[in-house]
Amino acid sequence: MVFAVQRFPKPEFETGYLQPGTLLPSPRAEILAAMDVAILVLALSVISWIVLKKRSRKGVFWMSLFSLIYFGFYREGCVCSIGSIQNITLALFDHTFILPLTVIAFFIIPLIFTLFFGRTFCAGVCPFGALQDLVAFRPQKLGSRLNAVLGMVPYIYLGLAILYAATGTDFIICRYDPFVGIFRFNASFGMFVFAGILLISGIFIARPYCRFLCPYGVLLNWVSRFSRRHITITPAECIQCRLCEDSCPYDAIDIPVTTKDPENRKIRVKKLIWISLLIPFLTFAGGWTGSRLHITLAGVNSKVRLAEEILTPAAGQGQPESLGLTAYKSSGKAAEEVYSEASEILDRFYNGGWILGGFIGLVFGWVIAERMLSKWHTDYIPNKGACYSCARCVDFCPVKTDLSEIKHEKT
Amino acid sequence: MKQKAFIILALALLLALILFMVKDLFYNSPEKKTNPYAYDLRTLKKGDTTQTAYIETRQVHTRLPEIHGLATGINDWIYLAGDNGVEIYDQAGILKNRFDITGNAGCVAVDKHGNIWLGMEDHIEIRNASGKQIKTWKSFGEESFISSIAVTDSFAFIADAGRKVVYRCDLSGNMINRIGEKDPVRKIPGFIIPSPYFDLAIAPDRSLWVVNPGRYELEKYSYDGSFLTSWGEPGIGIGRFCGCCNPSHFTLLRDGSFITSEKGIERIKIYSAEGKFSAVVAFPSSFEEGTRGLDLATDSRERILALDPVKKQVRIFIRKKDQKSN
Amino acid sequence: MPTRREFLNTLVRGSILAGLGLLSGALIFRKGKERECGFDFNCKNCPRSNDCLLPRPLESRQMVWQLDPSRCIQCGRCATDCVLTPSAVKCVHVYAMCGYCDLCGGYFKPGTKVLDTAAENQLCPTNAIKRKFVEDPFFEYTIDEPLCIGCGKCVKGCSAFGNGSLQLQVRHDRCVNCNQCSIARNCPSGAFSRVPASNPTLLRGFDQKQTTTNIKQ
Repeated sequence: MVFAVQRFPKPEFETGYLQPGTLLPSPRAEILAAMDVAILVLALSVISWIVLKKRSRKGVFWMSLFSLIYFGFYREGCVCSIGSIQNITLALFDHTFILPLTVIAFFIIPLIFTLFFGRTFCAGVCPFGALQDLVAFRPQKLGSRLNAVLGMVPYIYLGLAILYAATGTDFIICRYDPFVGIFRFNASFGMFVFAGILLISGIFIARPYCRFLCPYGVLLNWVSRFSRRHITITPAECIQCRLCEDSCPYDAIDIPVTTKDPENRKIRVKKLIWISLLIPFLTFAGGWTGSRLHITLAGVNSKVRLAEEILTPAAGQGQPESLGLTAYKSSGKAAEEVYSEASEILDRFYNGGWILGGFIGLVFGWVIAERMLSKWHTDYIPNKGACYSCARCVDFCPVKTDLSEIKHEKT
Repeated sequence: MKQKAFIILALALLLALILFMVKDLFYNSPEKKTNPYAYDLRTLKKGDTTQTAYIETRQVHTRLPEIHGLATGINDWIYLAGDNGVEIYDQAGILKNRFDITGNAGCVAVDKHGNIWLGMEDHIEIRNASGKQIKTWKSFGEESFISSIAVTDSFAFIADAGRKVVYRCDLSGNMINRIGEKDPVRKIPGFIIPSPYFDLAIAPDRSLWVVNPGRYELEKYSYDGSFLTSWGEPGIGIGRFCGCCNPSHFTLLRDGSFITSEKGIERIKIYSAEGKFSAVVAFPSSFEEGTRGLDLATDSRERILALDPVKKQVRIFIRKKDQKSN
Repeated sequence: MPTRREFLNTLVRGSILAGLGLLSGALIFRKGKERECGFDFNCKNCPRSNDCLLPRPLESRQMVWQLDPSRCIQCGRCATDCVLTPSAVKCVHVYAMCGYCDLCGGYFKPGTKVLDTAAENQLCPTNAIKRKFVEDPFFEYTIDEPLCIGCGKCVKGCSAFGNGSLQLQVRHDRCVNCNQCSIARNCPSGAFSRVPASNPTLLRGFDQKQTTTNIKQ
């Protein structure tokens, strides 16, 4: 505040009293953070080996249990790959934000592994996935339409998380992190209820967070589509026995589309034209809507809220003033400074609103397009984007693994 | 059928979660939450401003960045000293002179010749009214911090907050004796100074009064250092001195009554010559929260001048009945 | 068909990999804006004179949360908003600043007549401050950290009436170092920030090197 701290010689004690020192416990050792990264790499290597080479559901289960205990209960969550999206974003937009190397590692390494081996990270390293996998007792099929609609949510969540991180507003992924409280055995009642509800719905809808919320899953989904290798249901040729059809709790098995080119060329061209018009339109419409909503979006930012409160001192009548206002008054900051800061943030939200809305519109168009243009394929195959490589389907395939060994040696 | 019910239930739960997140993110403002552990100091500082015996009539605004000391001199001129500068105003508040000094003046006094005595942390500097340096005393020591000076016709009394002692010197800077060091034999309690405020003053009857802030007392000493008497009680009540370590400053009126200022609960009060509470000059509502260092002075018209280092003003109070007769 | 598809896949994969490499490279090696170094990355013989640009590339630069007592307004959020119960924020006593007063503004409720350790006289809602007689007229005040909930009531009392030796700090033996501190999110005065783990305190008027503190700062 106003006064420089003035220190004084301590009282002159005559009874030999010794002034105690102020105890300052140190934070978690940095070497342990390096160990986390090492274990992350190791765990990813092991799980990828289990999934692709051993093809063992049991192995995946034990590996995920290990990760749940280490990354969940021992390490107590932070920083996780999901949340690291926000750190990376903020670091890109704010040059004063200092990004620890471990955060970069936790963001990049799972993506690289996914690029080569599919979403093995989800199968056996992510503690969130592991926890939800454990409670998926009665998974039900949702149908492709419901999956597509709910599957939009992570895109919106990712967009919002990036917007709020880029504007330095908040880390909303961490704010609504459902499971970290369970890992720590310590959270507010509300967060325990949040986690409880998610786990209960997870009994019937397997991995609800991963499928319908997880923003990092969006990135993994994109990357996994181009993965070099990926788990297969059968080690050899698919014999179309349909035994695996119901094995996937996540609706991630693509059922064969056997009739090749079901439509004539004319209809197909028409569809393509329609899509090529629809996607730009949805992108623009989304962007426009987003920019209209920028005031609402910016309302989450505390600096914007403070500026609003100073401008409209409604709190004066009867209501006590907010603590933010009290803090502002005691800081001695000029109102103009708060306003200019807030208007700068509002500008960023206006641009961000365009981009966010456009992104959501684009994704919306993309989902529609994907559903309109069915792709021909004959076998039961895991959807490379949506599959978590949990290896449940492998156990249902009657084709034996030894065949794959032979095949593998041939190639 | 059963399966469908499960799906609907699970979906409903999931949608409820998403709705909760949206509501919490956009329609929940954390500012509205109140503090369950609030410690409201304002209730302690309430005071009825109609109950004050004095009224603030004018302010003198200064341009010094940090002011620490206030004094009055001949013709009721006002002297201000602080970091790197001194300012002189006449009794109407018109700037007469300002000059730069090297270093920070923690306190100021003016002698009968109009010379300005500045407590420059560990030593004394004497300048004339135009700012010319007349004399610089040698340092009292590394830990010294001069927090108050009083000059009479033959002596200078200097309060050293760093060493927790008062020096009596002759006017050329030779130390005569030290006053107030703890001495159980002479029944001297010793000064306790937990914060950098340690004031002294010479009463109209020429007796030496020193604040013992750690004991919430004003103590009277003879010039040779004998402890004579003391008064003052700790407490937040209006007649007491609040903790920690008050009063921070005081001065005396012609009838020997005391004017005291406090930090923590910012207030200025008057006590009789016997140390009995008599009236309030200013309640905490007159000051910014956290104001410290309300140095005091009086002038020939018995006005009370208070230095407000936060508002950077000298605030002048006059007795209400004087105002009516004016 | 499969070969063309495979080729396209490889192409995209290659570009994703290159993109990720570029991103991480940029994040690791990029130079921060030039600014005053308020941090201590243990730069030996600080090279500030050689135009140091923060952050330095290949140091682990772990960050932890801390609160700046000079901005704290004692709003109580540290007690209510931490993900842990009780909070990882505690009152810390900087003895070097303490006046050892009998009438302690951080210990006693206002208006306490008899200065003793009776529970009803104590300002602290959990009676977490221990008062011990040292010698006339000095008393030592110690925080019983397991009891402290970090509400800041005593901090307010101490800074209003005393020297401000009681200050709130994030205690790193308790803090789980959330990626986004939930107190920081709701702190009305923006007192929370990430600080280097190598220098994780922001105490006011506290100098570890200087045992006998100096009156002139």
